[in-house]
Amino acid sequence: MALASVLNSDCADFSFDNSLPSGFGCGPGLSGLGFEATPSDSLNFTVRNPLCAVGDDGVERKIEFLHGTTTLAFKFQHGVIVAVDSRATAGSYIASQTVKKVIEINPYLLGTMAGGAADCSFWERLLARQCRIYELRNKERISVAAASKLLANMVYQYKGMGLSMGTMVCGWDKRGPGLYYVDSEGNRVCGDMFAVGSGSMYAYGVMDSGLRQDLTVEEACELGRRAIYQATYRDAYSGGQVNLYHVHSEGWTRVSQEDVLMLHQQYKEQA
Amino acid sequence: MEYLIGIQGPDFVLVAADNVAASSIIQMKHDYDKMFKLSEKILMLCVGEAGDTVQFAEYIQKNVQLYKMRNGYELSPAAAANFTRKNLADYLRSRTPYHVNLLLAGYDDTDGPGLYYMDYLSSLAKAPFAAHGYGAFLTLSILDRYYKPDLTRDEAVDLLKKCVQELSKRFILNLTSFTVRVIDKEGIHDLEKLTLGAK
Amino acid sequence: MLSSQTFGDPGKMKDYHYTGPVEHRFSPYAFNGGTVLAVAGEDFAIVASDTRLSEGYSIHSRDSPKCYTLTDTTVIGCSGFHGDCLTLTKIIDARLKMYKHSNNKSMTSGAIAAMLSTILYGRRFFPYYVYNIIGGLDEEGKGAVYSFDPVGSYQRDTYKAGGSASAMLQPLLDNQIGFKNMEGVQHVPLTRDKAVQLVKDVFISAAERDVYTGDALRVCVITKEGINEQTIPLRKD
Repeated sequence: MALASVLNSDCADFSFDNSLPSGFGCGPGLSGLGFEATPSDSLNFTVRNPLCAVGDDGVERKIEFLHGTTTLAFKFQHGVIVAVDSRATAGSYIASQTVKKVIEINPYLLGTMAGGAADCSFWERLLARQCRIYELRNKERISVAAASKLLANMVYQYKGMGLSMGTMVCGWDKRGPGLYYVDSEGNRVCGDMFAVGSGSMYAYGVMDSGLRQDLTVEEACELGRRAIYQATYRDAYSGGQVNLYHVHSEGWTRVSQEDVLMLHQQYKEQA
Repeated sequence: MEYLIGIQGPDFVLVAADNVAASSIIQMKHDYDKMFKLSEKILMLCVGEAGDTVQFAEYIQKNVQLYKMRNGYELSPAAAANFTRKNLADYLRSRTPYHVNLLLAGYDDTDGPGLYYMDYLSSLAKAPFAAHGYGAFLTLSILDRYYKPDLTRDEAVDLLKKCVQELSKRFILNLTSFTVRVIDKEGIHDLEKLTLGAK
Repeated sequence: MLSSQTFGDPGKMKDYHYTGPVEHRFSPYAFNGGTVLAVAGEDFAIVASDTRLSEGYSIHSRDSPKCYTLTDTTVIGCSGFHGDCLTLTKIIDARLKMYKHSNNKSMTSGAIAAMLSTILYGRRFFPYYVYNIIGGLDEEGKGAVYSFDPVGSYQRDTYKAGGSASAMLQPLLDNQIGFKNMEGVQHVPLTRDKAVQLVKDVFISAAERDVYTGDALRVCVITKEGINEQTIPLRKD
């Protein structure tokens, strides 16, 4: 069969073969400069994922969900809830406990921050500009789908050059609530619930067991808050405060900002 | 970990793709459609490197649609496959190659059904059946054993189910849901999603 | 040959009988140490730094302050790679002049912070190896501190330490200014004298324990009356 000859090489599937070079020209990129030798240089919400191969030379070959932080967003009947922690780490040093990881793109679009802090804030700021230009040109608000695609296409151009960004674009448009996950690998997927960052697995655990479509706004906020809290409890790279936003038909509103320390006490009393 | 499969019959092509969008070990999405409609009777199934798949597939998709607008008629499946292959081959020698594996299935009014296998090294093969991903190692032998050129649609679906059952038995990951589509002289039809076991 | 090998790769001694190929990669970066600190008060801001310039085990200069006055109400503290510090501050100065010529006013601290962020991110793939902290007064005359990472992520703080001894200073400031994790304390606003004294104390402490911090302390106190600079001696060993 002709297929056999096509398939007999063992690269029928390459997407999980880390040993293949990704082949993107790095230009005068980080890898040529030994900048990684000091991994704690730039402020990061990044932690090397033990599951991903890290070369001996310290160059991270695969940047995937290794974003060291916890952010989550989910859709429910009254819109989208966005919940994030607020810790920034540089290596094992906590560089800040008061980071705003929800980026307010405009009054009806939110972006979240995981990965390189500068990468996220820069590209989402640029996205805000593009969205404003779209509004002026077309006399209507940009859809969440289009906004997320603008962002995905912008960072896709830099794929393989070391950008690190895992973001959720949340908003409300003609089609109702919108939620997209976009990352620097080039992924862009629509969904009902995402968690991003090193604490995402813990957040997924709490979310998957508590998420229902018919939650009230209060219940949904509490679920998001609880999921982030549990993630900060288990994940050393997450912590600080829990910031909560609610996206509804009128745009977004900031629901709350609570210190994890207070939440811990509160939940302990409840238990 | 992704899986694509295509089975050609006398007057149709049956294709299926898993529904998982994964990022590292996390399933981000369970209902992701990996098929791209190039024209009324051509489907492209796409797996591979994150980002590359959608970027490349949409690029090809839009170009095939542009061709129709310019010329007033659509590309045949064979032409679309060769167009896709040429693009993939050109990008392979560029600084930004696309790491995508494809199946291209279509129905041509004169040539009948066609199924094309393409990998990221831009090798192209016309085949009566084809599969991509680790699952292909498990299922190609099943296809070799049970495929016959004159199989009916129901037989093709049964054959597909055989393959999927083998995956759920032997493959380490449980892919639970598959989009299934058939292309015939009427166009593209959605079949019921194949689902296995628990959600 | 052996000495050049160990020189090129400090900390990792090659085997004595090692005969294989040795890779020497040129690095355009060095770490010159130094610590910077900024504190924002109600109507003032303080930017402070030590004045030591060192590299590896040697001290190049004992009088190299890392505070750079940008405008009447803004001072920036830069530590990290001294070469990049100089390049960066000169670029900022040039941009400030251009702004002043075209707008007939000085840039505010917030605007300088936003500009610095884009300047830093412009070199995302070949970064300035500099930790920046801006201290100044905002449009309302309140003290403002903006802290940066080397590629331009920034946020407004009330107090921030950066550079080699940042991990020593920051927890102390969290305790003394932020009153972190304390119950039943009064959050008294920081007076200028208390702040200056605190800055001196934390730097004296850092000079005790950080080899890259010492010699002298330069303190810039920014108020609406102007910038008051003073220098306090630190350990010189």
